[in-house]
Amino acid sequence: MVKEATVNGKKVETNSPPTGMQVIFREFSKDKLAMFSLISLVVVIIGVFIWAWFIDQETLMRVSLRDKYAAPGEKFFLGADQGGKDILGQLVIGAKNSIRIAIAITLITGVFGIIVGLVCGYFGGWIDNMFMRIIDFFITIPSLMIIIVFVTIVPKYTVNTFILIMSLFLWTSTARLVRSKALSESRRDYVNASKTMGTPGILIIFKEIMPNLSSILIVELTLNFAGNVGIETGLSYLGFGLPPQTPSLGTLISYANNPLVLQDKWWVWLPASIFILLMMLGINYVGQALRRSADAKQRLG
Amino acid sequence: MNSTEQLLSINNLHTGFRIKDTYFDAVDGVSISLKRNEILAIVGESGCGKSTLATSIIGLHDHNKTRVEGEIIYKGINLAKLDEEKFNKVRGEEIGMIFQDPLSALNPLMRIGHQIEEGLAFHTKMTKEQRDKRVLELLTQVGISNPARIAKQFPHQLSGGMRQRVIIAIAISCKPNIIIADEPTTALDVTIQAQILDLLKDLQAETGAGIVLITHDLGVVAEVADRVAVMYAGQIIEEATVEGLFTNPLHPYTRSLFNSIPQMNSENEKLQVIQGIVPSLINLPRTGCRFSTRIPWISEGMHEENPTMHEVSPGHLVRCTCWQHFHFESEEGGITR
Repeated sequence: MVKEATVNGKKVETNSPPTGMQVIFREFSKDKLAMFSLISLVVVIIGVFIWAWFIDQETLMRVSLRDKYAAPGEKFFLGADQGGKDILGQLVIGAKNSIRIAIAITLITGVFGIIVGLVCGYFGGWIDNMFMRIIDFFITIPSLMIIIVFVTIVPKYTVNTFILIMSLFLWTSTARLVRSKALSESRRDYVNASKTMGTPGILIIFKEIMPNLSSILIVELTLNFAGNVGIETGLSYLGFGLPPQTPSLGTLISYANNPLVLQDKWWVWLPASIFILLMMLGINYVGQALRRSADAKQRLG
Repeated sequence: MNSTEQLLSINNLHTGFRIKDTYFDAVDGVSISLKRNEILAIVGESGCGKSTLATSIIGLHDHNKTRVEGEIIYKGINLAKLDEEKFNKVRGEEIGMIFQDPLSALNPLMRIGHQIEEGLAFHTKMTKEQRDKRVLELLTQVGISNPARIAKQFPHQLSGGMRQRVIIAIAISCKPNIIIADEPTTALDVTIQAQILDLLKDLQAETGAGIVLITHDLGVVAEVADRVAVMYAGQIIEEATVEGLFTNPLHPYTRSLFNSIPQMNSENEKLQVIQGIVPSLINLPRTGCRFSTRIPWISEGMHEENPTMHEVSPGHLVRCTCWQHFHFESEEGGITR
């Protein structure tokens, strides 16, 4: 990177290694696939949210038996399902819900996991011990089963309760990763140096240790996001996802359980499947490019 | 303030590390004091407890794994018993620390100016503009010629000597009364080393702070220190003024240290070494003269049973009586081996 700096009033070109965003930008410009994925992801996510704004969910979900399994055509661009409901509309709303849930879960688990991990790694001792045993407990129990039980027993079950239930079980891996990194980072000399200046622990954690872990955090959150998109879809597919009147990608795919639909009515399940496949691939490519830029040994450029 | 004012007095300090539920003292009954305007050097080989002593003074130990007992009296407060919150007020403002490795002691993601400013923000009520001004002053004070540019740079853009200057600037930012320098020149090359030592001396002359200089380099001691304490296996075994120690080293360990400095013009081409190693914490015999295992040719009876510090001449203290009978092995009957 050639930069211009002013020394004693004169302009001088100085060489400095690329930092932060420059590294990420260079990594993406070297990896065309990741760049394409990033652009299309941003376009799709924004597009889905805007499009969903214009769709009236009640009209969309109204059953119209005359249009049962209508093939793609003039009235329904991507056909209709067994209730005569527009597939395209359900696809858009379902995608919006999946993405929204994934973002919410990623943020909640991310914030909680990062805070717990940093505090455990920095302070150690009984705080660390206590949280690690709690995390051990969460990891050993079969979370999918428990989530399904929760979903069935929670009254007035909405998208928000779903997000909270999922977050309850998914913060642990982030916390463990962040803890291990914070543990090694807080034994560094610069942390000690900051302590000798009388900096309070909480400020050292968030102003010194966290910025030094930022690359790992970004990667972890991106890859978590990819995983979380799949979670809602998977549970809806099993029938334990969102409330039945809410359109969902998982519900669309689960129609393929009917052999008749699977063989003859491809338009019901294929678009949702392809959408999920492409989206998860895209997020993963972006995440991997971010991971490479966080690790100098793996960088492409 | 007069120059003989007692700044820091350490009485019978024990700092122990926990190994499997037992505490082993790495600093074992150290008593020493630091006066204003004084550079006190603490010398010893690796693993003798120098750095542990330093970190005990500034309270950097992990409380779960260490035990600090005894007294570290500063302004009438016992630092060894202070809790974290009160200690944070003392650290930085009253005691500053300079670290050994200038690269790892700076946060790689923070601009230099910001790192120096940090301490000021906690301990003073300066406004942002005043702090920025003070940062530039400090950088100039430690001999950086273009402070405005350096303040905006990141640590990796500076050379080792520059970084050490920045670390010194951080340590003196709040005008502390005590500066602890833990091997400040070990990671630097010799020319930079001399510059940094000069800088430390100048700063001390300006501020009147007391400096605890921890080093294993006797050359550094001769250059800057006023008083020297030689440590071996967690204890101070000799304490004297620099002149006193360099003209008349008494304890066998001190003499061995001087003897092992390589000399160009010596007839014997072999390097003089001290036999054996510092015993590890667990295996350290807690009674008797701790150096006796490394001078086996001095018979048992020459050592004291419980060695204490003896004042040989005013201000010159030495532990154990074995120094009166000590001679180098080679002096005994020609060169052995």
